[in-house]
Amino acid sequence: MMKRFVVVLALALSSASLADDSAKASYQVQDGTKVDQKTLNGWKTWRALACERCHGAQQEGLVGPALVESLKTMSKEDFHTTIMNGRPEKGMPNFNTSQMVNENWEGLYAYLKGRSDGKIQPGHLYPIESK
Amino acid sequence: MKQQRLSILIGAAAAATMGMCGIAVAQAPGLEQLMAKSSNWASQAGDYANHRYSDLKQVNSNNVGQLQVAWTMSTGVLRGHEGSPLVIGDTLYLHTPFPNNVYAVNLKDQSFKWKYEPKQNTDVVPVMCCDTVNRGLAYGNGKIFLQQADTTLVALDANTGKVVWTAKNGDPKIGETNTNAPHVFKDKVITGISGGEFGVRGRLIAYDVNSGKKVWTAWSTGPDTELLVDPNKTMTWTNGKLAPVGKDSSIKTWKGDQWKLGGGTTWGWYAYDPKLNLVYYGTGNPGTWNPAQRPGDNKWSMTIFARDLDTGMAKWAYQMTPHDEWDFDGINEMLLVDLKIKGKDTPALVHFDRNGFGYTLNRDTGELLVAQKYDPQVNWATSVDMKTGRPIVDKKYSPGTTGPDVNVKDICPAALGSKDQQPASYDRKSGLIMVPTNHVCMTYEPFQVEYTAGQPFVGATLTMYPTPGSHGGMGNFIAWDAAQGKIVWSKPERFSVWSGALTTAGDIVFYGTLEGYIKAVSTKDGKELWKFKTPSGIIGNVFTYEYSGKQYVGIYSGIGGWAGIGMAAGLTGNTEGLGAVGGYKDLAKYTTLGGSLFVFALPDSARTASR
Repeated sequence: MMKRFVVVLALALSSASLADDSAKASYQVQDGTKVDQKTLNGWKTWRALACERCHGAQQEGLVGPALVESLKTMSKEDFHTTIMNGRPEKGMPNFNTSQMVNENWEGLYAYLKGRSDGKIQPGHLYPIESK
Repeated sequence: MKQQRLSILIGAAAAATMGMCGIAVAQAPGLEQLMAKSSNWASQAGDYANHRYSDLKQVNSNNVGQLQVAWTMSTGVLRGHEGSPLVIGDTLYLHTPFPNNVYAVNLKDQSFKWKYEPKQNTDVVPVMCCDTVNRGLAYGNGKIFLQQADTTLVALDANTGKVVWTAKNGDPKIGETNTNAPHVFKDKVITGISGGEFGVRGRLIAYDVNSGKKVWTAWSTGPDTELLVDPNKTMTWTNGKLAPVGKDSSIKTWKGDQWKLGGGTTWGWYAYDPKLNLVYYGTGNPGTWNPAQRPGDNKWSMTIFARDLDTGMAKWAYQMTPHDEWDFDGINEMLLVDLKIKGKDTPALVHFDRNGFGYTLNRDTGELLVAQKYDPQVNWATSVDMKTGRPIVDKKYSPGTTGPDVNVKDICPAALGSKDQQPASYDRKSGLIMVPTNHVCMTYEPFQVEYTAGQPFVGATLTMYPTPGSHGGMGNFIAWDAAQGKIVWSKPERFSVWSGALTTAGDIVFYGTLEGYIKAVSTKDGKELWKFKTPSGIIGNVFTYEYSGKQYVGIYSGIGGWAGIGMAAGLTGNTEGLGAVGGYKDLAKYTTLGGSLFVFALPDSARTASR
């Protein structure tokens, strides 16, 4: 029993190091700037909706909070709620009418989690090269 | 009291020359009469035709080397100072960038006659794409007109500064703002709108000068009834001749409802021909900078319009950059000049477009006569097909061809063009045009964007840099022959020449540099005759006036505008400011923010009545 458990745990740990941290975010990154398609679409959504205007080009915060900090503790569910409803009292608009946000919010979460984990570099991202 | 006396004098002069009588004593002097006096600088261009030329020649090529500071004044505001003051009689009217203060200054002792300091919501600042500039005031019928950033057009009594009427043109909440100067033509005051980077739908609006009543609105995109075109009568150059634009000329060149975010904004300088009764202006970029999202020619963005002043109906239109892929806004000034083209006297219109081509058209009919590069290094198009009027695009420099998420390199000119709003000047003596230009190239990567009202609607990442393989600088000041489409002489500059030029009968042309120099050069060969370093970079327009027998030359000093956006808005990333921050980062070695007016004159010892 114990041996199997250890093997299962070892496998779980090694796959975690491949996909880096959060299993829920499940981003894949290579060389800091190449990511899987879902995360790439998340980054494109970040870019398309001009989020940097409030949150900073490197998610470091401007008039809006630093997402590299917020994503350390914010759950995926809370992220979903915030982006869909906005924070009108703080000046953040809602994005529930955005087609790109509706389609890619999970990839956007993955991108921002990767930024927050320090695993994805700021700036332009590219697709992971296929072998 | 003084105003009345001035009215009587002008009235008497008018009566004597025109044989009229019974001019009302209380009538404010007409703008046309005021502009005709070379001692005034009564409109932004000095006249209706965008000449920016003065008959004054007390300062001339022989003595300009002795020009010195006569008086100065702080504007009290930082960031980009575009446009120029107005001078009418013994009063100078000064304006500032946001919050758009207006000061009437007594030329006698530089004390203030009155001040107008509007209270505008600072929420408007984040939706001004390219600095908080204001291109200046207009005068008409005893009123000074200010177009505020928050889209309020204000008419002030020229004597007292009291508000006579106001009108609201737009809504900053959806990204609509103003940077343009209003223009008074006859009994109308014309204004436009900014926001091409916010999905704003462009239009030109005419108000009655006295009542502030809106007379007409001419939209740049959309249904024919909103465009103010007659499908059968409004003409455009096509297939080697002028032909009617036809039904739905705008809508059928857009996919679906894209024309509603169609841009075509109107933030440049306007011109007017009183004989033809036509207003001339250009329209800006079509909505998103990602061409894949808006297939079609995107009419009538990037277009020169000629409209009847009274009705707004378009007599003709000509689109310079169909299906734009580079942000080459068509808003630059239209110079109305009479030229001899191929031996024929022609009422011409000359326009130096962002896209690097210098156009000459017949301003009466809209016939295309000349289209030549005014910077030889322009490469996005090899030439303009004179039959179709369309540019022949080089696919190597076409971000629309390679599509979203592909970076296209070394496109010349950069998005800010071979010339942006900085206006040229017509030398009436030589017939040449003195043009302040940019010499900058770019990389351009478009990407998918979504529209959110009040948020940027751009969709491209740019970097900008000096034209490679050239003199290393980012600007040239040139003299241009608009009949032939040729550069006559060219003076390189370290940075883009972002100021407006002024040419005078003294055979000199003045301009300002981004490092802060105001310069006088010879109209004959561009040889530098004088320069003075003002406290901050110059993006305003040089102007001149005469007071108490002395000629003065003036300029605002205060860096900003698109080229200076890094400094003005405190941006540091290479691609920020739509690419200008990286391109102009060296400006920080030469200047910093400021806000002042400098006025120069000859010392008493140098002044002579004639050369």
